[in-house]
Amino acid sequence: MSQKQQYLMGVRAGIPVILGFVPVGIAYAIMAQQAGFTTSEIILMSITVFAGASQMMAVGMYVQGASIVAMILATFILNLRHLIMSTCVVSRMKNEKIGRKLLATFGVTDESFAIFTTEKEENCSALYFLGLITVTYSSWIAGSAIGAVASRFLPAILSASLGIALYAMFIGILIPNAKHNLRLGILIALTAVVNSILTHFIASSWALIVSTLVCAAIGVFFVDLSKQEDTADEQ
Amino acid sequence: MNSSIFLLITGMAVVTYIPRAIPAVLIEKMKFSPRMEKFLRLIPYTAMAALIFPGVLTVDAERLSIGIVGAIVAGIFAWRKMPVMVSVAAAILADLLLYIIT
Repeated sequence: MSQKQQYLMGVRAGIPVILGFVPVGIAYAIMAQQAGFTTSEIILMSITVFAGASQMMAVGMYVQGASIVAMILATFILNLRHLIMSTCVVSRMKNEKIGRKLLATFGVTDESFAIFTTEKEENCSALYFLGLITVTYSSWIAGSAIGAVASRFLPAILSASLGIALYAMFIGILIPNAKHNLRLGILIALTAVVNSILTHFIASSWALIVSTLVCAAIGVFFVDLSKQEDTADEQ
Repeated sequence: MNSSIFLLITGMAVVTYIPRAIPAVLIEKMKFSPRMEKFLRLIPYTAMAALIFPGVLTVDAERLSIGIVGAIVAGIFAWRKMPVMVSVAAAILADLLLYIIT
């Protein structure tokens, strides 16, 4: 496969994310605007941080008068999960220069991670991932910019309905995998239950990390992943 | 630009990039056992499951039905092997309709 083909394959895989990122970017920008951020600050944060949930959380904390240190610390904790995700992503890039990897890992988000790590192994390369994040990064910035500039022209029920998009994307990736592998399906259900329970006792960012790691560790002992590559063929 | 906001954005950018970049630097030095490799391959599935639940219920914090209906519609389309994009569009449309009729 040529380099251009690898890159374009990643771009194509990223297209569904546009439907998720643009609306969430708009929602973030509206929140930030109401908190008193200027248009350039809203867009600069999306360009440099590129992590939707933590950007929204920081804006929410800013409104409540939190200190800068507290907001940065909360961002760090919420985004620690990227350490695990990035490890999975980088382990699928064979024989790549470190510069390319450093560039690629800037774009590790829940979505790019989910798409890349469930892609067929032989399709995975740094260029594929760069193509993928070209789409996710630009739709995140575009969404933030649209929200900052044009929020008052969007009908409220449309922006509200778009909130389901990211979840629908994860469901769209998970279900076909679970359907072909009952034990994997059981593990997925178990994780959902564990996380729902943990969320009542510890901060949801920690609950997410703990339930992801603990349940994956449990899964090592009873899930068979050898069939998974076939599922990817059919998609 | 307000200097405290500039400081906030810079700090957030740094602490977000560091966990992302560490594996890019260190992975060559790591050698994974088959069991560790399996663990890493399972993480995408458990992470997505944890991202969906219970978060999907709070898509609209005042109306539980928005998250539930959207998730079920996406689930049905995914079960029928529709492309991810179609499942996403169907879930958005279902929620839009729900907002309109109720």
